[in-house]
Amino acid sequence: MFKSRAKKDLSRTDEELVSLLQKEMDADRFAVLYDRYSTKVYQKCVGMTRDRDLAKDLTHDIFLKIFVSLSKFDHRSKFGTWVYSVTYNYCLDTLRKNQRHREEDIDERTQEGLPTDTTSEAALLGLRAERLDHVLEQLDAMDRGVLLMKYEDELPVTDMMATLGIGESAVKMRLMRARERAIAKYHELYPDEP
Amino acid sequence: MSDNPFKIIRPTDQPPESLKKDVMGSVKFVMLILRFVQLFVADLPVSAFDKVRLIDPETGAPKKKN
Repeated sequence: MFKSRAKKDLSRTDEELVSLLQKEMDADRFAVLYDRYSTKVYQKCVGMTRDRDLAKDLTHDIFLKIFVSLSKFDHRSKFGTWVYSVTYNYCLDTLRKNQRHREEDIDERTQEGLPTDTTSEAALLGLRAERLDHVLEQLDAMDRGVLLMKYEDELPVTDMMATLGIGESAVKMRLMRARERAIAKYHELYPDEP
Repeated sequence: MSDNPFKIIRPTDQPPESLKKDVMGSVKFVMLILRFVQLFVADLPVSAFDKVRLIDPETGAPKKKN
């Protein structure tokens, strides 16, 4: 009986599994969701933290947080999107605790005042992979996070707004500043490079 | 291969095998705690005062219900 139920669970969608878990807690059923998302969550944590031991601890805590917060999932977004959002924000909160918080002065420049910085984007995407890796390692967690969201995960701005809980202009401002700081860091690390 | 360097440096590590055991152990522990809370705390007045008997402080005799 248990085997047939487990087999059935494997063919259920994420949302169906979550609905069942919201009615009744079940560790084996939750394990199906763990199997589907553990690699993605772990890799995201490695990318954000650049530290495999910390990434392991964070992945553990994130799955526990997901399990405890399942009742709050309202089915308005896909479960995978929600998991991504929990993962990203949990990593960022942890990294922020270890870093000096840099105040983002969002109002300093208005959206109209934003330069069209295709130059910095092209410069960033033109970096050699191993150098970019080194640059990202040296960046502030928030800067690294928004750059990974935009260029690694290719999230649209609307999804970034939802994940970060900020408006469109603030997302664009953070992206622009993250790019600027990444390029500045690159010139600092490789002063002889163009 | 993608020209985007962000795609090239994307981590490809697999989570450690022991992690699943750790996560599921913690999940089961949380379930146990939540069940305990449900059982005893959610109905605290009943569980705490079920066996309590009011006595007269002077005589020590059980108080009669009004």
